[in-house]
Amino acid sequence: MSRLICPFCGPRELREFEFHKTLPNAGESPFERVYLRVDSLTLSVEHWQHVQGCRAWLQIERNPSTGEVLMTRLARSGEAP
Amino acid sequence: MKGPTPRYSALALLRARFKGAGFWMPLWTGRTLKDGYDVVVVGAGGHGLATAFHLVRDHGLKVAVLERRLVGYGNVGRNTTIVRSNYLLPENHYFYEDSLRRWETLSRDLNYNVMYSPRGVVDICLSDGDMIDAARRGNAMRLAGIDSDLMEIDALERFAPELAPRRTRRFPIVGALVQRRGGTVRHDAVAWGYARAATALGTDIIENCDVQGLRTEAGVVTGVETSQGFVRANRVLFATAGHTGMVGKMIGVPLPIETHLLQAMVTEPIKPLINSVLVYVHPGHGETYILQSDRGGVVMGGHLDGFPSYTREGQWHRMEDVVQGAVELLPQVGGLKILRQWAGTNDMTMDGSPIMDRVKYDNVFINAGWCYGGFKTIPASGAACAKLVATGEAADIARGFRLSRFATGHLLDERGGGPFPVRL
Ligand SMILES: Cc1cc2nc3c(=O)[nH]c(=O)nc-3n(C[C@H](O)[C@H](O)[C@H](O)COP(=O)(O)OP(=O)(O)OC[C@H]3O[C@@H](n4cnc5c(N)ncnc54)[C@H](O)[C@@H]3O)c2cc1C
Ligand SMILES: [Zn+2]
Repeated sequence: MSRLICPFCGPRELREFEFHKTLPNAGESPFERVYLRVDSLTLSVEHWQHVQGCRAWLQIERNPSTGEVLMTRLARSGEAP
Repeated sequence: MKGPTPRYSALALLRARFKGAGFWMPLWTGRTLKDGYDVVVVGAGGHGLATAFHLVRDHGLKVAVLERRLVGYGNVGRNTTIVRSNYLLPENHYFYEDSLRRWETLSRDLNYNVMYSPRGVVDICLSDGDMIDAARRGNAMRLAGIDSDLMEIDALERFAPELAPRRTRRFPIVGALVQRRGGTVRHDAVAWGYARAATALGTDIIENCDVQGLRTEAGVVTGVETSQGFVRANRVLFATAGHTGMVGKMIGVPLPIETHLLQAMVTEPIKPLINSVLVYVHPGHGETYILQSDRGGVVMGGHLDGFPSYTREGQWHRMEDVVQGAVELLPQVGGLKILRQWAGTNDMTMDGSPIMDRVKYDNVFINAGWCYGGFKTIPASGAACAKLVATGEAADIARGFRLSRFATGHLLDERGGGPFPVRL
Protein backbone atom coordinates (compact mmCIF):
# COMPACT_ATOMS: atom_id res chain seq x y z
CA MET A 1 0.00 0.00 0.00
CA SER A 2 2.03 2.97 -1.23
CA ARG A 3 -0.69 4.74 -3.21
CA LEU A 4 -4.35 5.55 -2.84
CA ILE A 5 -6.71 6.25 -5.72
CA CYS A 6 -8.52 9.53 -5.22
CA PRO A 7 -11.83 9.63 -7.14
CA PHE A 8 -10.91 13.13 -8.37
CA CYS A 9 -7.14 13.02 -8.74
CA GLY A 10 -6.46 9.39 -9.60
CA PRO A 11 -3.64 7.32 -8.10
CA ARG A 12 -1.50 9.48 -5.82
CA GLU A 13 1.31 8.84 -3.36
CA LEU A 14 0.22 7.86 0.11
CA ARG A 15 1.96 10.81 1.72
CA GLU A 16 -0.57 13.18 0.14
CA PHE A 17 -3.35 11.66 2.25
CA GLU A 18 -4.14 11.94 5.93
CA PHE A 19 -5.94 9.27 7.91
CA HIS A 20 -8.59 10.63 10.25
CA LYS A 21 -10.64 7.96 12.03
CA THR A 22 -12.02 4.45 11.82
CA LEU A 23 -15.74 3.64 11.53
CA PRO A 24 -18.26 2.77 12.77
CA ASN A 25 -18.39 4.72 16.01
CA ALA A 26 -18.42 2.56 19.12
CA GLY A 27 -21.67 4.19 20.23
CA GLU A 28 -23.68 7.39 20.05
CA SER A 29 -22.44 9.35 23.07
CA PRO A 30 -19.67 11.92 22.49
CA PHE A 31 -17.33 9.83 24.68
CA GLU A 32 -17.86 6.71 22.59
CA ARG A 33 -17.57 8.60 19.32
CA VAL A 34 -14.43 10.51 20.23
CA TYR A 35 -12.44 8.03 22.30
CA LEU A 36 -13.47 4.42 21.71
CA ARG A 37 -12.54 2.32 18.70
CA VAL A 38 -13.87 -0.90 17.25
CA ASP A 39 -10.79 -2.78 16.05
CA SER A 40 -10.64 -5.42 13.34
CA LEU A 41 -7.91 -7.60 11.86
CA THR A 42 -9.57 -7.98 8.48
CA LEU A 43 -11.66 -4.91 7.64
CA SER A 44 -10.96 -1.33 8.57
CA VAL A 45 -13.42 1.31 7.34
CA GLU A 46 -11.82 4.72 7.56
CA HIS A 47 -12.15 8.42 6.83
CA TRP A 48 -9.19 9.95 5.07
CA GLN A 49 -8.61 13.35 3.51
CA HIS A 50 -6.61 14.10 0.38
CA VAL A 51 -4.92 16.98 2.23
CA GLN A 52 -2.18 17.65 -0.30
CA GLY A 53 -4.46 17.26 -3.30
CA CYS A 54 -8.10 18.16 -3.86
CA ARG A 55 -8.80 18.05 -0.08
CA ALA A 56 -11.81 15.77 -0.59
CA TRP A 57 -12.93 13.57 2.29
CA LEU A 58 -12.76 9.90 1.38
CA GLN A 59 -14.17 6.73 2.80
CA ILE A 60 -11.73 3.86 2.41
CA GLU A 61 -11.97 0.19 3.27
CA ARG A 62 -8.73 -1.67 3.88
CA ASN A 63 -7.51 -4.99 5.21
CA PRO A 64 -5.21 -3.86 8.03
CA SER A 65 -3.41 -7.23 8.15
CA THR A 66 -2.33 -7.15 4.50
CA GLY A 67 -2.51 -3.45 3.64
CA GLU A 68 -4.81 -4.20 0.70
CA VAL A 69 -7.20 -1.35 -0.22
CA LEU A 70 -10.64 -2.84 -0.83
CA MET A 71 -12.70 0.25 -1.66
CA THR A 72 -12.27 4.02 -2.06
CA ARG A 73 -15.08 6.51 -2.57
CA LEU A 74 -16.02 10.04 -1.61
CA ALA A 75 -17.44 10.34 1.87
CA ARG A 76 -21.09 11.30 1.69
CA SER A 77 -22.37 14.45 3.30
CA GLY A 78 -23.12 13.83 6.94
CA GLU A 79 -20.61 10.99 7.02
CA ALA A 80 -17.39 12.93 7.20
CA PRO A 81 -16.59 14.53 10.54
CA MET B 1 15.42 -29.98 29.41
CA LYS B 2 18.41 -29.18 31.60
CA GLY B 3 19.01 -25.89 33.26
CA PRO B 4 18.60 -23.15 34.08
CA THR B 5 22.07 -21.65 34.09
CA PRO B 6 23.34 -21.02 37.61
CA ARG B 7 23.88 -17.51 38.94
CA TYR B 8 26.13 -15.44 36.72
CA SER B 9 29.28 -14.24 38.44
CA ALA B 10 33.03 -13.99 37.97
CA LEU B 11 33.28 -17.39 39.63
CA ALA B 12 30.78 -18.89 37.17
CA LEU B 13 32.86 -17.55 34.29
CA LEU B 14 35.92 -19.20 35.77
CA ARG B 15 34.09 -22.52 36.19
CA ALA B 16 32.85 -22.33 32.61
CA ARG B 17 36.47 -21.83 31.54
CA PHE B 18 37.28 -25.30 32.87
CA LYS B 19 34.03 -27.12 32.13
CA GLY B 20 33.71 -25.81 28.57
CA ALA B 21 30.63 -24.55 26.79
CA GLY B 22 28.51 -27.37 28.28
CA PHE B 23 28.52 -25.39 31.52
CA TRP B 24 25.99 -22.92 30.07
CA MET B 25 22.43 -24.16 30.25
CA PRO B 26 19.24 -22.80 28.64
CA LEU B 27 18.33 -19.38 30.00
CA TRP B 28 15.01 -20.49 31.35
CA THR B 29 12.99 -23.61 32.06
CA GLY B 30 9.36 -23.82 33.14
CA ARG B 31 7.99 -24.62 29.70
CA THR B 32 5.26 -27.14 30.61
CA LEU B 33 1.68 -25.93 30.84
CA LYS B 34 -0.13 -26.86 34.06
CA ASP B 35 -3.91 -26.99 34.53
CA GLY B 36 -4.31 -23.83 36.51
CA TYR B 37 -2.60 -20.78 37.98
CA ASP B 38 -3.24 -17.89 40.33
CA VAL B 39 -2.56 -15.53 37.45
CA VAL B 40 -2.37 -16.08 33.71
CA VAL B 41 -0.45 -13.32 31.96
CA VAL B 42 -1.17 -13.06 28.24
CA GLY B 43 1.83 -11.87 26.21
CA ALA B 44 5.52 -12.48 26.86
CA GLY B 45 6.70 -9.00 25.97
CA GLY B 46 8.53 -6.77 28.40
CA HIS B 47 5.43 -5.82 30.38
CA GLY B 48 4.05 -9.36 30.67
CA LEU B 49 7.38 -10.83 31.74
CA ALA B 50 8.20 -8.05 34.20
CA THR B 51 4.74 -8.25 35.75
CA ALA B 52 5.08 -12.04 36.07
CA PHE B 53 8.44 -11.60 37.78
CA HIS B 54 7.00 -9.18 40.34
CA LEU B 55 3.85 -11.28 40.86
CA VAL B 56 5.95 -14.22 41.93
CA ARG B 57 8.77 -12.36 43.70
CA ASP B 58 6.77 -9.69 45.54
CA HIS B 59 3.42 -11.45 45.99
CA GLY B 60 4.28 -15.18 45.95
CA LEU B 61 1.71 -16.11 43.31
CA LYS B 62 1.73 -19.02 40.85
CA VAL B 63 1.97 -17.51 37.38
CA ALA B 64 2.03 -18.58 33.74
CA VAL B 65 2.90 -16.32 30.82
CA LEU B 66 1.19 -17.43 27.61
CA GLU B 67 2.74 -16.17 24.38
CA ARG B 68 1.27 -16.73 20.93
CA ARG B 69 4.69 -16.50 19.22
CA LEU B 70 8.08 -16.49 20.91
CA VAL B 71 9.49 -14.56 23.83
CA GLY B 72 10.73 -11.27 22.40
CA TYR B 73 8.88 -11.55 19.08
CA GLY B 74 6.82 -8.44 19.78
CA ASN B 75 7.86 -4.85 20.39
CA VAL B 76 10.20 -5.68 23.23
CA GLY B 77 12.50 -7.05 20.52
CA ARG B 78 11.70 -4.37 17.91
CA ASN B 79 12.14 -1.09 19.73
CA THR B 80 15.01 1.37 19.56
CA THR B 81 16.02 0.84 23.21
CA ILE B 82 15.71 4.43 24.44
CA VAL B 83 15.02 5.01 28.13
CA ARG B 84 14.30 8.43 29.67
CA SER B 85 11.95 10.19 32.07
CA ASN B 86 11.74 13.64 30.47
CA TYR B 87 7.95 13.97 30.60
CA LEU B 88 5.95 17.07 31.43
CA LEU B 89 2.89 15.77 33.29
CA PRO B 90 3.32 14.65 36.92
CA GLU B 91 1.32 11.42 36.35
CA ASN B 92 3.85 10.55 33.69
CA HIS B 93 7.14 11.85 34.98
CA TYR B 94 6.94 10.25 38.43
CA PHE B 95 6.16 6.91 36.84
CA TYR B 96 8.86 7.15 34.16
CA GLU B 97 11.36 8.31 36.76
CA ASP B 98 10.54 5.30 38.95
CA SER B 99 11.35 3.20 35.90
CA LEU B 100 14.61 5.00 35.17
CA ARG B 101 15.75 4.41 38.76
CA ARG B 102 14.94 0.73 38.37
CA TRP B 103 16.97 0.54 35.14
CA GLU B 104 19.96 1.81 37.10
CA THR B 105 20.01 -1.32 39.28
CA LEU B 106 18.17 -3.84 37.08
CA SER B 107 21.24 -5.81 35.97
CA ARG B 108 21.99 -6.54 39.61
CA ASP B 109 18.34 -7.20 40.54
CA LEU B 110 17.92 -9.76 37.74
CA ASN B 111 21.51 -11.07 37.80
CA TYR B 112 21.49 -10.41 34.07
CA ASN B 113 23.35 -7.67 32.22
CA VAL B 114 20.76 -5.46 30.50
CA MET B 115 23.47 -3.01 29.42
CA TYR B 116 21.92 0.21 30.74
CA SER B 117 23.90 2.98 29.09
CA PRO B 118 23.19 6.49 30.51
CA ARG B 119 24.56 8.28 27.47
CA GLY B 120 22.10 11.19 27.60
CA VAL B 121 18.94 11.99 25.65
CA VAL B 122 19.12 15.26 23.73
CA ASP B 123 15.93 17.00 22.57
CA ILE B 124 17.15 19.46 19.98
CA CYS B 125 15.68 22.98 19.77
CA LEU B 126 15.63 24.99 16.55
CA SER B 127 13.97 28.18 17.75
CA ASP B 128 13.31 30.36 20.78
CA GLY B 129 9.85 28.82 20.90
CA ASP B 130 11.38 25.36 21.13
CA MET B 131 13.65 26.58 23.95
CA ILE B 132 10.69 27.98 25.88
CA ASP B 133 8.86 24.65 25.58
CA ALA B 134 12.00 22.80 26.62
CA ALA B 135 12.50 25.07 29.62
CA ARG B 136 8.92 24.47 30.73
CA ARG B 137 9.31 20.69 30.54
CA GLY B 138 12.78 20.80 32.09
CA ASN B 139 11.53 22.91 35.00
CA ALA B 140 8.59 20.58 35.61
CA MET B 141 11.05 17.69 35.76
CA ARG B 142 13.41 19.52 38.11
CA LEU B 143 10.56 20.34 40.47
CA ALA B 144 9.92 16.59 40.62
CA GLY B 145 13.58 15.89 41.42
CA ILE B 146 14.42 14.61 37.94
CA ASP B 147 17.65 15.66 36.25
CA SER B 148 17.39 17.91 33.22
CA ASP B 149 19.72 20.46 31.66
CA LEU B 150 18.74 23.20 29.29
CA MET B 151 21.81 23.79 27.10
CA GLU B 152 22.52 26.58 24.67
CA ILE B 153 24.42 25.79 21.53
CA ASP B 154 27.97 26.10 22.92
CA ALA B 155 27.32 23.80 25.88
CA LEU B 156 25.43 21.43 23.58
CA GLU B 157 28.34 21.18 21.16
CA ARG B 158 30.64 20.25 24.02
CA PHE B 159 28.15 17.57 25.08
CA ALA B 160 27.46 16.33 21.53
CA PRO B 161 30.39 17.36 19.33
CA GLU B 162 29.02 15.31 16.44
CA LEU B 163 26.51 18.13 15.89
CA ALA B 164 29.22 20.66 14.93
CA PRO B 165 29.09 20.09 11.13
CA ARG B 166 25.39 21.03 11.24
CA ARG B 167 26.09 24.46 12.68
CA THR B 168 26.06 26.59 9.57
CA ARG B 169 23.02 25.05 7.90
CA ARG B 170 19.54 26.46 7.52
CA PHE B 171 17.43 26.26 10.70
CA PRO B 172 20.42 26.44 13.04
CA ILE B 173 20.27 24.53 16.31
CA VAL B 174 19.91 26.96 19.20
CA GLY B 175 20.08 24.52 22.11
CA ALA B 176 18.61 21.40 23.63
CA LEU B 177 16.96 19.87 26.65
CA VAL B 178 19.28 17.14 27.87
CA GLN B 179 18.58 14.35 30.32
CA ARG B 180 21.97 12.87 31.13
CA ARG B 181 20.65 9.77 32.93
CA GLY B 182 18.55 8.89 29.91
CA GLY B 183 20.10 6.57 27.37
CA THR B 184 19.67 3.05 26.11
CA VAL B 185 19.18 -0.49 27.42
CA ARG B 186 19.75 -3.71 25.46
CA HIS B 187 16.15 -4.67 24.54
CA ASP B 188 16.51 -8.45 24.03
CA ALA B 189 18.42 -8.71 27.29
CA VAL B 190 15.43 -7.22 29.10
CA ALA B 191 13.09 -9.93 27.78
CA TRP B 192 15.58 -12.70 28.45
CA GLY B 193 16.61 -11.35 31.86
CA TYR B 194 13.03 -11.12 33.12
CA ALA B 195 12.13 -14.51 31.60
CA ARG B 196 15.10 -16.11 33.32
CA ALA B 197 14.46 -14.44 36.68
CA ALA B 198 10.72 -15.21 36.65
CA THR B 199 11.12 -18.87 35.71
CA ALA B 200 13.88 -19.32 38.30
CA LEU B 201 11.19 -18.47 40.87
CA GLY B 202 8.72 -20.98 39.41
CA THR B 203 6.87 -19.09 36.66
CA ASP B 204 5.96 -21.01 33.49
CA ILE B 205 6.42 -19.39 30.09
CA ILE B 206 4.49 -21.16 27.34
CA GLU B 207 5.38 -20.16 23.78
CA ASN B 208 3.18 -20.81 20.70
CA CYS B 209 0.14 -20.55 22.95
CA ASP B 210 -2.46 -18.22 21.46
CA VAL B 211 -5.09 -16.95 23.87
CA GLN B 212 -8.41 -16.91 22.01
CA GLY B 213 -11.07 -16.21 24.59
CA LEU B 214 -12.17 -16.04 28.20
CA ARG B 215 -14.28 -18.72 29.88
CA THR B 216 -16.85 -17.41 32.32
CA GLU B 217 -19.09 -19.10 34.86
CA ALA B 218 -21.91 -17.06 36.35
CA GLY B 219 -20.28 -13.83 35.21
CA VAL B 220 -16.88 -14.66 36.69
CA VAL B 221 -13.87 -15.43 34.52
CA THR B 222 -12.49 -18.88 35.33
CA GLY B 223 -9.71 -19.09 32.78
CA VAL B 224 -8.62 -18.66 29.19
CA GLU B 225 -9.24 -20.70 26.05
CA THR B 226 -5.99 -21.15 24.15
CA SER B 227 -4.58 -22.97 21.13
CA GLN B 228 -3.22 -25.48 23.66
CA GLY B 229 -6.52 -25.96 25.48
CA PHE B 230 -8.23 -24.43 28.49
CA VAL B 231 -6.07 -22.95 31.25
CA ARG B 232 -7.69 -22.26 34.62
CA ALA B 233 -6.86 -18.89 36.17
CA ASN B 234 -8.04 -16.93 39.18
CA ARG B 235 -6.96 -13.74 37.49
CA VAL B 236 -6.09 -12.86 33.90
CA LEU B 237 -3.79 -10.04 32.79
CA PHE B 238 -3.56 -8.95 29.16
CA ALA B 239 -0.13 -7.45 28.38
CA THR B 240 -0.53 -7.77 24.64
CA ALA B 241 0.77 -4.36 23.48
CA GLY B 242 0.02 -3.98 19.75
CA HIS B 243 -2.73 -6.59 19.91
CA THR B 244 -4.74 -4.98 22.68
CA GLY B 245 -7.31 -3.72 20.17
CA MET B 246 -8.08 -7.37 19.41
CA VAL B 247 -8.31 -8.12 23.11
CA GLY B 248 -11.01 -5.47 23.32
CA LYS B 249 -12.84 -7.34 20.60
CA MET B 250 -12.29 -10.71 22.34
CA ILE B 251 -13.81 -9.55 25.59
CA GLY B 252 -16.41 -7.34 23.97
CA VAL B 253 -15.32 -3.90 25.18
CA PRO B 254 -14.27 -1.22 22.72
CA LEU B 255 -11.07 0.37 24.05
CA PRO B 256 -9.64 3.86 23.49
CA ILE B 257 -6.89 2.29 21.38
CA GLU B 258 -5.91 2.32 17.71
CA THR B 259 -3.20 0.06 16.32
CA HIS B 260 -0.47 1.89 14.40
CA LEU B 261 2.90 0.99 12.96
CA LEU B 262 6.18 2.48 14.09
CA GLN B 263 9.25 1.65 12.11
CA ALA B 264 12.98 1.78 12.74
CA MET B 265 16.10 1.10 10.74
CA VAL B 266 19.82 0.53 11.24
CA THR B 267 22.84 1.25 9.06
CA GLU B 268 26.08 -0.62 8.53
CA PRO B 269 28.36 -0.36 11.58
CA ILE B 270 30.84 2.51 11.82
CA LYS B 271 33.33 3.72 14.41
CA PRO B 272 31.89 5.62 17.39
CA LEU B 273 30.31 8.85 16.14
CA ILE B 274 27.11 9.55 18.08
CA ASN B 275 27.60 9.74 21.82
CA SER B 276 24.04 10.22 22.96
CA VAL B 277 20.45 9.85 21.78
CA LEU B 278 19.58 12.75 19.48
CA VAL B 279 15.92 13.67 19.00
CA TYR B 280 15.30 16.06 16.15
CA VAL B 281 11.91 17.45 15.16
CA HIS B 282 12.64 18.98 11.80
CA PRO B 283 10.75 21.64 9.91
CA GLY B 284 8.95 20.02 7.03
CA HIS B 285 9.64 16.34 7.46
CA GLY B 286 8.53 15.26 10.88
CA GLU B 287 10.82 13.65 13.37
CA THR B 288 14.04 11.69 13.47
CA TYR B 289 15.68 10.20 16.50
CA ILE B 290 19.08 8.71 16.11
CA LEU B 291 21.61 6.80 18.18
CA GLN B 292 24.50 4.44 17.68
CA SER B 293 24.18 0.85 18.83
CA ASP B 294 26.94 -0.91 20.72
CA ARG B 295 27.81 -2.76 17.52
CA GLY B 296 28.29 0.57 15.72
CA GLY B 297 25.14 0.65 13.59
CA VAL B 298 23.29 3.96 13.41
CA VAL B 299 19.73 3.31 14.62
CA MET B 300 16.99 5.67 13.47
CA GLY B 301 13.28 6.09 13.90
CA GLY B 302 10.61 8.77 13.67
CA HIS B 303 6.86 9.21 13.50
CA LEU B 304 4.18 6.55 13.23
CA ASP B 305 3.25 5.54 9.70
CA GLY B 306 -0.06 7.31 10.27
CA PHE B 307 -2.95 4.86 9.88
CA PRO B 308 -4.15 1.63 11.55
CA SER B 309 -2.19 -1.43 10.49
CA TYR B 310 -1.21 -4.89 11.62
CA THR B 311 1.13 -5.55 8.68
CA ARG B 312 4.43 -4.83 10.44
CA GLU B 313 5.69 -3.34 7.14
CA GLY B 314 6.80 0.26 7.42
CA GLN B 315 5.81 2.69 4.68
CA TRP B 316 8.54 3.98 2.37
CA HIS B 317 7.53 7.63 2.64
CA ARG B 318 7.99 7.55 6.40
CA MET B 319 11.37 5.89 6.00
CA GLU B 320 12.31 8.70 3.62
CA ASP B 321 11.27 11.33 6.21
CA VAL B 322 13.40 9.68 8.87
CA VAL B 323 16.45 9.44 6.63
CA GLN B 324 16.07 13.02 5.40
CA GLY B 325 16.02 14.22 8.99
CA ALA B 326 19.05 12.12 9.86
CA VAL B 327 21.12 13.52 6.99
CA GLU B 328 19.98 17.05 7.74
CA LEU B 329 21.03 16.69 11.36
CA LEU B 330 24.23 14.72 10.80
CA PRO B 331 25.53 15.20 7.25
CA GLN B 332 28.29 12.73 8.21
CA VAL B 333 25.89 9.76 8.03
CA GLY B 334 24.71 10.58 4.49
CA GLY B 335 26.91 7.97 2.82
CA LEU B 336 25.95 5.05 5.05
CA LYS B 337 23.96 2.10 3.81
CA ILE B 338 20.82 0.97 5.61
CA LEU B 339 21.09 -2.70 6.45
CA ARG B 340 17.71 -3.44 7.95
CA GLN B 341 14.34 -1.78 8.41
CA TRP B 342 11.43 -3.16 10.41
CA ALA B 343 8.19 -2.15 12.12
CA GLY B 344 6.09 -3.04 15.14
CA THR B 345 2.39 -2.61 15.94
CA ASN B 346 1.75 -0.06 18.66
CA ASP B 347 -1.22 0.22 20.98
CA MET B 348 -1.89 3.95 20.59
CA THR B 349 -4.28 5.44 23.14
CA MET B 350 -6.34 8.54 22.50
CA ASP B 351 -4.23 10.67 24.86
CA GLY B 352 -0.87 8.98 24.33
CA SER B 353 -0.65 7.66 27.90
CA PRO B 354 -0.97 4.07 29.14
CA ILE B 355 -3.82 2.11 30.70
CA MET B 356 -3.34 -0.13 33.71
CA ASP B 357 -6.70 -1.17 35.07
CA ARG B 358 -9.45 -3.75 35.48
CA VAL B 359 -11.59 -4.25 32.45
CA LYS B 360 -15.17 -5.54 32.36
CA TYR B 361 -14.64 -8.30 34.98
CA ASP B 362 -13.38 -8.11 38.55
CA ASN B 363 -10.52 -10.48 37.82
CA VAL B 364 -9.46 -9.34 34.35
CA PHE B 365 -6.83 -6.63 33.89
CA ILE B 366 -5.05 -4.90 31.05
CA ASN B 367 -1.61 -3.37 30.99
CA ALA B 368 -1.49 -1.61 27.65
CA GLY B 369 -1.57 1.62 25.69
CA TRP B 370 2.17 2.09 25.95
CA CYS B 371 2.10 3.60 22.49
CA TYR B 372 5.56 4.00 20.99
CA GLY B 373 7.23 4.56 24.35
CA GLY B 374 6.66 1.55 26.53
CA PHE B 375 10.04 -0.07 26.51
CA LYS B 376 11.43 2.42 29.00
CA THR B 377 8.62 1.76 31.48
CA ILE B 378 8.96 -2.01 31.69
CA PRO B 379 10.54 -2.18 35.18
CA ALA B 380 8.10 0.29 36.78
CA SER B 381 5.15 -1.24 34.99
CA GLY B 382 6.07 -4.74 36.17
CA ALA B 383 6.11 -3.70 39.82
CA ALA B 384 3.01 -1.48 39.65
CA CYS B 385 0.92 -3.88 37.59
CA ALA B 386 1.82 -6.82 39.84
CA LYS B 387 0.53 -4.80 42.79
CA LEU B 388 -2.73 -4.09 40.97
CA VAL B 389 -3.30 -7.70 39.93
CA ALA B 390 -2.25 -9.21 43.25
CA THR B 391 -4.05 -6.82 45.61
CA GLY B 392 -6.72 -5.20 43.44
CA GLU B 393 -5.35 -1.80 44.46
CA ALA B 394 -3.57 0.46 41.97
CA ALA B 395 -0.02 1.40 42.88
CA ASP B 396 0.25 5.07 43.87
CA ILE B 397 2.39 6.03 40.90
CA ALA B 398 0.00 4.39 38.43
CA ARG B 399 -3.27 5.91 39.65
CA GLY B 400 -3.48 8.25 36.67
CA PHE B 401 -3.53 5.34 34.23
CA ARG B 402 -7.08 4.18 34.81
CA LEU B 403 -9.36 3.38 31.93
CA SER B 404 -12.17 5.59 33.20
CA ARG B 405 -10.15 8.76 32.59
CA PHE B 406 -11.38 8.90 29.00
CA ALA B 407 -14.96 9.03 30.19
CA THR B 408 -14.37 11.48 33.03
CA GLY B 409 -12.06 13.82 31.09
CA HIS B 410 -8.96 13.28 33.24
CA LEU B 411 -6.79 12.79 30.18
CA LEU B 412 -3.03 12.64 30.27
CA ASP B 413 -2.39 14.41 27.00
CA GLU B 414 1.37 14.89 27.28
CA ARG B 415 1.60 16.26 23.75
CA GLY B 416 -1.42 18.54 24.03
CA GLY B 417 -2.61 17.15 20.72
CA GLY B 418 -6.22 16.18 21.35
CA PRO B 419 -7.87 12.80 20.91
CA PHE B 420 -5.87 11.63 17.90
CA PRO B 421 -3.05 9.13 18.19
CA VAL B 422 -1.35 10.37 15.04
CA ARG B 423 -2.05 14.04 14.31
CA LEU B 424 1.41 15.30 13.37
C1 LIG C 1 10.12 0.47 16.06
C2 LIG C 1 9.79 0.72 17.49
C3 LIG C 1 10.64 1.50 18.27
C4 LIG C 1 10.36 1.73 19.61
N1 LIG C 1 11.26 2.45 20.35
C5 LIG C 1 11.07 2.62 21.67
C6 LIG C 1 12.06 3.28 22.46
O1 LIG C 1 13.12 3.67 21.95
N2 LIG C 1 11.81 3.45 23.79
C7 LIG C 1 10.65 3.01 24.36
O2 LIG C 1 10.48 3.21 25.56
N3 LIG C 1 9.71 2.35 23.64
C8 LIG C 1 9.90 2.14 22.31
N4 LIG C 1 8.95 1.47 21.56
C9 LIG C 1 7.72 1.01 22.22
C10 LIG C 1 7.92 -0.28 22.98
O3 LIG C 1 8.64 -1.21 22.21
C11 LIG C 1 6.55 -0.87 23.36
O4 LIG C 1 5.73 0.12 23.96
C12 LIG C 1 6.67 -2.01 24.37
O5 LIG C 1 7.69 -2.92 24.01
C13 LIG C 1 5.33 -2.74 24.44
O6 LIG C 1 5.26 -3.61 25.52
P1 LIG C 1 5.73 -5.15 25.48
O7 LIG C 1 7.22 -5.21 25.51
O8 LIG C 1 5.06 -5.82 26.59
O9 LIG C 1 5.16 -5.60 24.06
P2 LIG C 1 5.41 -6.88 23.15
O10 LIG C 1 6.83 -7.30 23.17
O11 LIG C 1 4.81 -6.55 21.82
O12 LIG C 1 4.56 -8.00 23.88
C14 LIG C 1 3.22 -8.34 23.64
C15 LIG C 1 3.18 -9.82 23.38
O13 LIG C 1 1.85 -10.29 23.45
C16 LIG C 1 1.72 -11.35 22.52
N5 LIG C 1 0.29 -11.56 22.26
C17 LIG C 1 -0.58 -10.69 21.70
N6 LIG C 1 -1.81 -11.22 21.64
C18 LIG C 1 -1.73 -12.45 22.20
C19 LIG C 1 -2.69 -13.50 22.44
N7 LIG C 1 -3.97 -13.37 22.09
N8 LIG C 1 -2.25 -14.64 23.04
C20 LIG C 1 -0.96 -14.79 23.39
N9 LIG C 1 -0.02 -13.84 23.19
C21 LIG C 1 -0.40 -12.68 22.60
C22 LIG C 1 2.52 -10.88 21.32
O14 LIG C 1 2.89 -11.95 20.48
C23 LIG C 1 3.71 -10.20 22.00
O15 LIG C 1 4.83 -11.04 22.14
C24 LIG C 1 9.19 1.21 20.20
C25 LIG C 1 8.32 0.42 19.43
C26 LIG C 1 8.62 0.16 18.09
C27 LIG C 1 7.70 -0.71 17.30
ZN1 LIG D 1 -7.87 14.20 -4.61
